[in-house]
Amino acid sequence: DPRRTGDALRAFHTALRSSPLHAKSQAAKEQAQGTMLKVLTSFKSSEIEQAVNSLDRNGVDLLMKYIYKGFEKPTENSSAILLQWHEKALAVGGLGSIVRVLTARKTV
Amino acid sequence: MAYHSFLLEPISCHAWNKDRTQIALCPNNHEVHIYRKDGAKWSKVHELKEHNGQVTGIDWAPESNRLVTCGTDRNAYVWTLKGNVWKPTLVILRINRAARCVKWSPKENKFAVGSGSRLISICYFEQENDWWVCKHIKKPIRSTVLSLDWHPNNVLLAAGSCDFKCRIFSAYIKEVEERPSPTPWGSKMPFGELMFESSSSCGWVHSICFSASGARVAWVSHDSTLCLADANKKMAVASLCTETLPLLAVTFITENSLVAAGHDCCPMLFTYEENQGALTFGGKLDVPKQSSQRGLTARERFQNLDKKASSDTANATLDTLHKNSIRHISVLKGGKANCSQFCTTGMDGGMSIWDVKSLESALKDLKIK
Repeated sequence: DPRRTGDALRAFHTALRSSPLHAKSQAAKEQAQGTMLKVLTSFKSSEIEQAVNSLDRNGVDLLMKYIYKGFEKPTENSSAILLQWHEKALAVGGLGSIVRVLTARKTV
Repeated sequence: MAYHSFLLEPISCHAWNKDRTQIALCPNNHEVHIYRKDGAKWSKVHELKEHNGQVTGIDWAPESNRLVTCGTDRNAYVWTLKGNVWKPTLVILRINRAARCVKWSPKENKFAVGSGSRLISICYFEQENDWWVCKHIKKPIRSTVLSLDWHPNNVLLAAGSCDFKCRIFSAYIKEVEERPSPTPWGSKMPFGELMFESSSSCGWVHSICFSASGARVAWVSHDSTLCLADANKKMAVASLCTETLPLLAVTFITENSLVAAGHDCCPMLFTYEENQGALTFGGKLDVPKQSSQRGLTARERFQNLDKKASSDTANATLDTLHKNSIRHISVLKGGKANCSQFCTTGMDGGMSIWDVKSLESALKDLKIK
């Protein structure tokens, strides 16, 4: 059951680690985005803060990239959960992490 | 901290004279105004009108007391004080885009101009013809040069560019100086030699600064990062992704400490830990005024709801001294090795002088190494 905290956290870190930042294939990136969105929505609201705190600076920047990518193509409930992730990621990464989403050359 | 509001418009750039009694600044137009300190007041003493475009860079040579200015009119002027009048001498930069920054070399026998022509003009005085000539450093710069800083050996020049890179070039001019001795950045320094190039960050390099010894160079980029290259560690680059909005200006205040400021409108301290090769954030240097806390009346609550769609009591105005982005920082006292006072100017038309000792006593957690 992916909604158990331990599995969700593991899935989260795995999804971040296998980010296709250098992939040229749009399909590979879209698949990764879909996976990440599934992982992010599988978290309970109360578990988000802990997950964000388990990341280092680069991890927070990467998460922020996925959040904004998720905002670009909203599905039924995605924006609501992404906004919760955004609030927690912003608290840790600051406005600088959002600036780096805008200036990034390698996108997720 | 002393804050003086010079203008309602942004201060484009500024430079101080040697004894810090006069400041030359561009009030966001084609002119340079020089103000002199008169006790607690500032009075305008000169207006330099020669440029046909906005003045983008000013530098004041402390020993020879000459000013150099550059502007969007693709020109640079060297100004000399004759009696009580500043007389300009045009310097042909041979560029076809705006000049963006200018710096005198430490010995004041050369100056460098960065421009939108994607090159750096190194200018020196040719005695025989009694005029300033320039040589170009072009390769491998791919975009506008936004900032420059000289190494203390008068030869090496660091340049920050819109192609996201920080580079160190040799600007050795055999006509005006001896061959330089080897430095940690390299031993062969023919004119135009690329001694160091950073790997791409993701932002325009707004400001760049050598440490007092010249062994370190730091730069700030538009992707909200601060980076430092250490020549004594085989030019290893330490970088810090900040939590702030992009920084626009940076300077060393000791060999290990930096002050940077930018779109967050307040100067911040950063420390370089040499052993770990890492940069850390040391804290904001702006002590916010304690505004009196009082409850809102029902009327004020309604007004807030009407104007801002929120009824919370959070102050929407800036707590910082500068009310808009800080664009430039200059060291006033102590040099880059042991700075005791520095100055910031910004888009709010204000100039602030910061005293390091006062900051250390006011901000208890501040550690300047």
